[in-house]
Parts: sequence; structure tokens; C-alpha cells
Amino acid sequence: MIGVGKIKQHANVLDKPLSKGKQEVSLSAFALLFSELVQYNQTQVDNIAEFERRLEDAGYTVGARVLELLCHRDKVSVGFQEDGFVYCLRCLFISWEDRVSDEVDERPNAVDNDLNVDKPKETLQNDERPGKETEGRHNCWGFCPLYTIQYGRCYLERSINSFLSEMQCGFHEVNEFFFTVRSVTSAADSLEKGTEHEDEYMISEKELLVNRFISIPKDMGTFNCGAFVAGIVRGVLDGAGFPAIVTAHFVPMEGQQRPRTTILIKFAEEVNTVLSLFSFHFCIGFEVIPAIVDDPQC
Amino acid sequence: MIVCVAVVGHQNNPLYLQSFTEADDELKLHHIVQCSLDVIDERVNNPKKTGPTLNETFLGLLYPTENYKVYGYLTNTKVKFIFVTTDLDVRDADVRNFFRRFHSAYVDAVSNPFHVPGKKITSRTFAERVSTIVKSFGMSAAA
Repeated sequence: MIGVGKIKQHANVLDKPLSKGKQEVSLSAFALLFSELVQYNQTQVDNIAEFERRLEDAGYTVGARVLELLCHRDKVSVGFQEDGFVYCLRCLFISWEDRVSDEVDERPNAVDNDLNVDKPKETLQNDERPGKETEGRHNCWGFCPLYTIQYGRCYLERSINSFLSEMQCGFHEVNEFFFTVRSVTSAADSLEKGTEHEDEYMISEKELLVNRFISIPKDMGTFNCGAFVAGIVRGVLDGAGFPAIVTAHFVPMEGQQRPRTTILIKFAEEVNTVLSLFSFHFCIGFEVIPAIVDDPQC
Repeated sequence: MIVCVAVVGHQNNPLYLQSFTEADDELKLHHIVQCSLDVIDERVNNPKKTGPTLNETFLGLLYPTENYKVYGYLTNTKVKFIFVTTDLDVRDADVRNFFRRFHSAYVDAVSNPFHVPGKKITSRTFAERVSTIVKSFGMSAAA
């Protein structure tokens, strides 16, 4: 009887439907892909500045698409200009869990905003648009965070849409090769607001995922492959309506072998007027590294 | 019966415009879509205090004309989806469902590396998916 069962299994192996596969891809596969990107660009350029620009442009196209995708997936809507901006930064930097748990009663639908037909959303008509008058509370919402900080750990979520299909020849229409890499144990991030300029913000990370297996030769100077990540950030901010110049820099730290990477975000002029309209409370709830902030309320 | 579907970019440039009836009324439908853009701008710039603010993606009924109804949907990147229907009684749930699937198809089309953001969507797959969604909207509304 057991033998019969085994034979049946063998016969059915070919008949089994193909599995969908895992949703995650190994870090090594991603590292290999990224190294190919870097090598390809290296052969196309003459100088370092253009090399960085090309990497950043590649990241920009990714960022623009990622924003659409993440918004659709997480079904969170973004307010425009003020709210969206504050939420952008909030999502990017502060302790997401803390904020959500504090305010989940005050904003009943802020986090879970899906178009579920089973639950009629009569509360939608009664919600107030948060404005400047609600100081001290972040009842605003925004797009899904690229970096979310939860209790001091950083989950780096990246999605690269149809990246491989660019490398492949042929005109596949939506060859969506989609993979996410989650790095659970990477070091904590910090948000810093530049002290010399009002419109500068910095995300710093101990080691960027893309730089993990890369070491820059001495003759390349200050080149940083994190320009790709900077491009992604720029694409996301641009898509959300906050044009900015984003660059990646190495910051050497004493006591550590490899330097930290800092992503510097410098917002454009029109965003500045928005910034000056309201104060930031984004440092509230931020528990990892004290932010270098001017704001006296923090 | 949905007669026309449109995707409009954040600078009010048309990205995709497709009508599902005989070609007579096509121009009129395009005109209706343009008019509804004004309504969207109005809604976005003057948020009513009691209006739907959280689910800002779905804008609801924009513009009831003599025999058409126009519904709108706004994404986070200020891309607008509009459709024009001749049904007189349309359930809210159906419309939301439609927009959800439409958004999904749109995201897939935009993820195409050969798609230039800001230019028209020329993907055949997107067109097929949209016509499938449109057909099934008609079915579910009738049922």
C-alpha cells in the first residue's frame, strides 16, 4: 500500500502545477545584478561625475515606479503638499510603530485605507483634513515608507521593477521581475536636519545594501555607489511632488572600519515655502539617535 | 455600461484615452473628460471640511450630465483616472472595485521600463486588461 502511494507520487511530479516561487530573492543575486549595472556603466563613461549621474538616473527611474507601486500596494493615500511632505519625512525616518500606536484611535482610517467593499466607509465623510491647527499631533498620512524604522532596527525595503528586463533583449511588455530584499539586521538609521541650511535633510546608514560587497578603489576618490539609492530617493520625492537634489556621501566614523553612508537631501525652492509654513515634529518619537535639529519644540 | 475611460497625468496631460462605444460620440466623451478635470482640480484645491479627506484617492461622482455619469480617482502621484458611464444606478462598491483593478493595471503598465513617464501608455497588455475590467464592470453591475 505504501509502495503504491510512492509510485503515485512519482507519476504526479510532472503533473504538479509549477509553484509560484518565493517572493524574495537572495542578497547575492541582487549584489550580482548590481555589480553588473556598475560595470556596464563604468565602460560607458569617461569620468566619475558622469558615472554617478548615470547610476543616479537609473535609480530615479526605479524610484518613480516604486512610488506608484508602493502606494497602490499599501493603499495609503497621500495628502498634498504639506501633509504629504511631513508624512514623507516621517515615514522615512521616525519610529513608525510608535506613531501608529499612539494615534490609531485618533485617526481611525489613517493606516488601513483599503478599498474594501465589505466595510462601508461612512467615516470617510466625517474626517477632517489635518491642518496646521492640529499642532503637536501628526494626524497626517502619506505613502508607504521606503525606510521604516521600528524600534531601532531598520527594514530596508527595495523593489526593482523590471530591472532584469532592461538587461534582457527583446520587447517584453510588462516583464515585471520584481524582488524585494529585506535586511533585518542592518544598523539603525538617523534623521538629521542640516543646521546650516533649512532645506537639507540627511539619512544616514551604517552600510547601504548596495555597497555591501563593493569597495571603491583609491583612484576613484569620493565615488559612492550609493548614488543609485540617492536616485531612488530622488525619484520617490519627485513623484510625490517634492523636488530635491539627493546625493550620497561617505562619512568616516572613528572606531569603525567602513565609513557610514549619508544620503543628503536638499529640497528645491518651492518646497521651502511649504517647509516654512509649519514646524516639524518629526523628531518626536525618534528614539534611536538624537536628531540634530534646530526646532526648539523637539 | 462604461463608455469611456481615461488616464490623465499630473500636469493634466492625457496618458490614455479609450472609448468603448461606436465612434460617433467619441469626441463628445473626450470633451466630458476634459470638463471633469476642472471638477477634480476644484475638489483638490478646496478640500471641504466635511468632505472625504482620508480616502482622497477616490473622488466619487464628479459630474452628472444628462445621460452620463463621470467618476474620478486620484493616485498619490496626482495621476487621475476618469471613467464615463451611462448606467443610471451604479453602486459605490462597484466603482471602487473598478478603480482598484484599474490602478493595479496602471501600476503594471508604468513599471514597464520602456514606458516613459509623462508619455502616452502604449502597452497592448494594458489595453486588454482595461477592456476586460470594463466588460466585467458591466456584468457585475447588471447582476
